[in-house]
Amino acid sequence: MGGTFVVYSDKPQLVLELIGFCTGAGRKAVALAFDAAVAEECAAKGADKVLFFNSGINLPEAYCQQVAEAITGEGAEGFIVGSTVRGREMAAKVAALLNWPLASDVSRVVAGGGELEIERLTYGGAVVQQEKVRLPAVVTVPPGKFEPSSKPKAGAEVVALSAEPDGRYTLLERTRIERQGADLANADKIVCAGMGFAKKEDLKLAFDLAAVLGAEVACTRSVAEERKWLPPDVYVGISGATVKPRLYLTLGVSGQVQHIVGARDSGLIVAVDVNENAPIFSAADYGIVGDLYEVVPTLIDALKNA
Amino acid sequence: MANVITCYKWVIDEKDIRINPDRTVDMSRAQRKISEYDKNAIEAGIRIANRLGARPVGLTFGGPEAKQSLKDALSRGLEAVYWVGHPFAAAADGMVTARVLAAAVQKIGDYNVIVCAEGAGDTYARQVGPRLGALLDLPVITAVCEVEVDGQYLVATRKLEDYVEKVKVSMPAVICVLPEICEAPVPTLKAVLAAGKKPAQELTPQFLGLEEADLAPGISVTGVLGYVMNRKNIILKDGDVAARVKELVAYLKKEGVI
Repeated sequence: MGGTFVVYSDKPQLVLELIGFCTGAGRKAVALAFDAAVAEECAAKGADKVLFFNSGINLPEAYCQQVAEAITGEGAEGFIVGSTVRGREMAAKVAALLNWPLASDVSRVVAGGGELEIERLTYGGAVVQQEKVRLPAVVTVPPGKFEPSSKPKAGAEVVALSAEPDGRYTLLERTRIERQGADLANADKIVCAGMGFAKKEDLKLAFDLAAVLGAEVACTRSVAEERKWLPPDVYVGISGATVKPRLYLTLGVSGQVQHIVGARDSGLIVAVDVNENAPIFSAADYGIVGDLYEVVPTLIDALKNA
Repeated sequence: MANVITCYKWVIDEKDIRINPDRTVDMSRAQRKISEYDKNAIEAGIRIANRLGARPVGLTFGGPEAKQSLKDALSRGLEAVYWVGHPFAAAADGMVTARVLAAAVQKIGDYNVIVCAEGAGDTYARQVGPRLGALLDLPVITAVCEVEVDGQYLVATRKLEDYVEKVKVSMPAVICVLPEICEAPVPTLKAVLAAGKKPAQELTPQFLGLEEADLAPGISVTGVLGYVMNRKNIILKDGDVAARVKELVAYLKKEGVI
């Protein structure tokens, strides 16, 4: 099919997945790197060419103008970006500078000649939308969609570029996030607390159940942001964490689509809620209709004796 | 007086969307609302304007129905609201929306901060804010959870996947805020009544100097399907609590999760 896609992500593993996508789509993959080690890795694992911005960089977003120029210089018909906070910002700004459309957070993408067919979720995950994107275009792709590329291509080269960052940005501090709550991304089991809890102290029930199950505790956005009972990094949903445990057990969660979209790939979904008509039950494998204040202590006892 | 412009979107309320058994989507009876994340953004814009001694204003681009949003927006504490209403909005992608908003921002003029939510409640594409910044040649900070004013600079704390960054940019600037930036209070009755007396100005695409080509999207929707969760849906509601719990535990054992 020919043609060139430029790829970028601030997550090295994701760059290799994006290179894998380009190769599968019959396109030449030109990777952008702001780190010498990443540049070498891309060249060794399947990029046709690597553009290395050798600039002692601290904010890749401050180089969007140069990135746009490099894409034009390569004569590329696509800019494929890993969907992270940094990647999405870079993608949107470069799309504006190039005057290209941008399809965000695609759950599926197939490259044809002259256009891309994509799928993405809208309305908090209630709707799957199919779209045609005319090339040239920018696309952001979440992790895990494509097999990472691993084999070098003949003649792969690393080209070092020097570039001046946009002087209007200053990075004052960068701090690794010390998780206040659970490490949900790697949790095997999760107990999720919703607005069915009347008081903050009552969350002890969720923690006690989690202890018996060997689970982490998560919550809904309202519990974290309206009530502030748990830190914002443990709420599950479209604007929060996406989780994939073997067991996702909800307590007093009504199951709005914006919440459940964050847990829909869980192995087994189990719900306890007092409202028989709550949407959570249609998203659940198993459910108990009942007052969580009665169900949870009984469940804890039953699990201890199981 | 300088403006702090908050952009918002008048979206279909997702709770009114019906998914039919054949996965077709029925939005015919859906109400609209200001996108939830935009309510937080409007409040954030008002607080920043207060710190700067600036005028908090709203800006929206939507179909003709977006006119219904103006009073709600004003009741949230904005002093004026500008809207671009055009049937083209229904098919607009982020490229078109950002172009329209950029043209409107330039028309409103005298701005020092533009506030957007990180994403809209319907598309959640998270592109319009940074795109708008690039079109206006302004610095942009995304995923902002805290913001301070320091003279001619904005200092924002932004949340990435593994890091928190504190970034300083010169104003004017665009910030894209996460909902946790601040709460969005429910407007008081007094504020709702006062909203009727505040100015709302329509900016037509023609007035903004936009041509048909500027409003042509690069992305077209070819299919819409309701998302269906394929789950067992075994719901225990009969018998006493102990019996329901016992049955559940038996299922969990069978599934191998306990």
